[in-house]
Amino acid sequence: MMLARVADSLYWIGRYVERAEHMCRLSDVMLTATLDRSESATQVARIALAAVGDFDGAKAKNPYAAAKALVFDRDDAGSIASSIARARENARQVRDQITTETWERLNLIYLRMTGPDAEAAYAEGSQLYLHDIIADLHLFRGAADATMSHGEGWRFLLLGMYLERAQLIGSLLEVCFGDGRRRPISDHFALTNVLRMSCALEPYLRAYTAEMQPRYILQFLMLDEDFPRAIRFCTDQIESHLKAICRHAGMAGVAGPERLAGRLKARLQYADMNELESQGPSAFLSTVLDECAAIHRLMYDTFVAYPLEERLPA
Amino acid sequence: MVADVGEVSRVETETIEVVRPYDEARSADGQVRPHYAALQARLATLSADELAERQRTQERFFLLQGITFTVYGAESSTERIIPTDILPRIIPAQEWAKIEAGLIQRLQALNMFLADIYSEQQILMDGVVPRELVLTAPSYRREMQNLYVPHKAYANVCGSDLIRQPDGAFAVLEDNLRVPSGVSYMLANREASKRVFPGTFRGAGVRSVERYPDMLLQTLKSMAADWRPNPQVVVLTPGVYNSAYYEHAYLARLMGVPLVEGRDLVVHDNFVYMRTTTGLRRVDVIYRRVDDDFIDPLTFRRDSALGAAGLFNAYRAGNVVICNAPGTGVADDKAVYAYVPDIIRYYLGEEPILPNIETYLCREPAQLSHVLANLDKLVVKAVGASGGYGMLVGPHSTQAQREEFTQALKADPGNYIAQPTIQLSTAPCLIDHGVEARHVDLRPFILCGEKISVTPGALTRVALKKGSLVVNSSQGGGSKDTWVLNESRESRP
Repeated sequence: MMLARVADSLYWIGRYVERAEHMCRLSDVMLTATLDRSESATQVARIALAAVGDFDGAKAKNPYAAAKALVFDRDDAGSIASSIARARENARQVRDQITTETWERLNLIYLRMTGPDAEAAYAEGSQLYLHDIIADLHLFRGAADATMSHGEGWRFLLLGMYLERAQLIGSLLEVCFGDGRRRPISDHFALTNVLRMSCALEPYLRAYTAEMQPRYILQFLMLDEDFPRAIRFCTDQIESHLKAICRHAGMAGVAGPERLAGRLKARLQYADMNELESQGPSAFLSTVLDECAAIHRLMYDTFVAYPLEERLPA
Repeated sequence: MVADVGEVSRVETETIEVVRPYDEARSADGQVRPHYAALQARLATLSADELAERQRTQERFFLLQGITFTVYGAESSTERIIPTDILPRIIPAQEWAKIEAGLIQRLQALNMFLADIYSEQQILMDGVVPRELVLTAPSYRREMQNLYVPHKAYANVCGSDLIRQPDGAFAVLEDNLRVPSGVSYMLANREASKRVFPGTFRGAGVRSVERYPDMLLQTLKSMAADWRPNPQVVVLTPGVYNSAYYEHAYLARLMGVPLVEGRDLVVHDNFVYMRTTTGLRRVDVIYRRVDDDFIDPLTFRRDSALGAAGLFNAYRAGNVVICNAPGTGVADDKAVYAYVPDIIRYYLGEEPILPNIETYLCREPAQLSHVLANLDKLVVKAVGASGGYGMLVGPHSTQAQREEFTQALKADPGNYIAQPTIQLSTAPCLIDHGVEARHVDLRPFILCGEKISVTPGALTRVALKKGSLVVNSSQGGGSKDTWVLNESRESRP
């Protein structure tokens, strides 16, 4: 049992933290790639910007300015600083529900990103700066995992993280391999960097060797069972956390979100790669993204913003 | 000489006769008081840089923990850390024993007073306190009349402001019976000073304050004990933008109870529920950190979004307990304050253990003319205001300010009281790499439910500006840890 507002805040902490980490990685890859002044470097910058929803091709010509805005622009709700500030604002509102260890990690990142020295530190070494933020976000996850009780609140936090992650990876794959793309990405350099954006390069190499094939990348990032950024892994987690949340709420087997999550999990579990490749991944990816959005809405209607009339004591 | 317990210089003005303030660390002849000797010895071994480093460590600790407060009307960042001073203020056991007894006596009498004025009003009929003064006070709540309050404990949490007068005796400056704050700083300062002076702390034999959250929970639970065996307690906060939000979250976390906002509460059929992920859950005791005016838009201020509609009716129906009870403010009204010694004598038949500060009630014509003639020597306070606002400190005021207050006093004398300018005692503080004396007050915390207790510790507030007497955190005040010493340790040779 926990306050609906608290569950809501924990869920959003998870989403914002995941989003911030993803944006850090995209910025980092974009900055590193553009050290090579090549056509494929510009392509990588375009992919990264498109994956954050910015299709203005001109910005890819100046990746430094684009990356800096992505990091610090507080007017942009999607920037890393905004995501961190919102995660921390939510954490402040549920300060009594998270452990001091968890709070301290998040507050430290916030102070580092909004303090007077932030932009100077970034200017001095932007990749190092982003690397440190990502490492701190990992510490935050670690602290949450190691010190918070793995009960209902922790599950809402993780539900937010995995839903956000499934949607972010889904959007990235849509940008790279979807029907909207005129020429498919075949360049080794660009494909390598797509894997970097999903923090998947090293695990991919172990599974498929250095052979960069769009088919293998899709298969790995969509259907791998064990890689934590694969959509299938995320949907397994979403299902398991929602199931536990429903059990806590005494709604096991009756609540809608659990059914939706189970269906999505099965969809990934039994997907056929040959079918996917022959039909093109777009239709499948958009089904996955739509169902993630539906789970989000139904979760809200069931646990957070339910109509009071239905729950009043008789 | 950096690491020395400094002395404050005499405030020299021509108009007032200046009394030397009591120095917490040194006697009048300059000798270090025995209970400060160990700290003084430790300070002598530390260089200015080492002290400054410790101060910085402490500030980082506060920032990282998010121990911040919000200043109303400040333009820049809305969150700031409260200035803290690493040097503890030390109170020996026998002095504390008297403070403790005095505070318990005072809160008992004030709760009896509240129970009386919200029922039979015997004290008003006997003419001990003027009827009109009580019934016209803005903090008097007619809605509380004849309402059952368990254990007659109207004020469950009280944070009185004490000051030490030049002769060394403690006196009560103010009783805070509404929603007193500051207890989280008492606990955080203690955490910090254990890190800064571990050895001195261990050697001194300091009484523990750690049980405060646990005692608070017991007090709150005792308020519903006669009708709910295991009551659901919640802390009600105005929200994350309130200046004391950190404290609300801190207490909820350490008590292990939900921290709710008005929007989390629903009142149905005179029962109070909170919205949880599993539906509505009944709430039995509300430790509210929201002012009376805002707890229920149906009963009090209609434009309030901070409370829950129907809450007060649920309280009247006996289905929920609100702590502190609404209407307790009438007993810490600045005009009623002047009568507290009489209130203690009336209900308990005892002499007050802790005296009041001499107070002039401007509603009395004779006292008003005395106040007007001596504005430059007195401190004038608006009865309804708090936090150091709406106040004239005579000796530090300009002619223009005095004229402004003269007008205000003549227009609405009942709204003001005046007190002589008190020299608060001074304690050594770390100021810009050196130890200097600054004025301090003392806010201990008293809990009252089925039982009454005083936590052996306090928030010591410091006026960090040299010579300043204003200790409020909204006006440049800071805080420091307060060590109340064990009896046994002190008596050792």
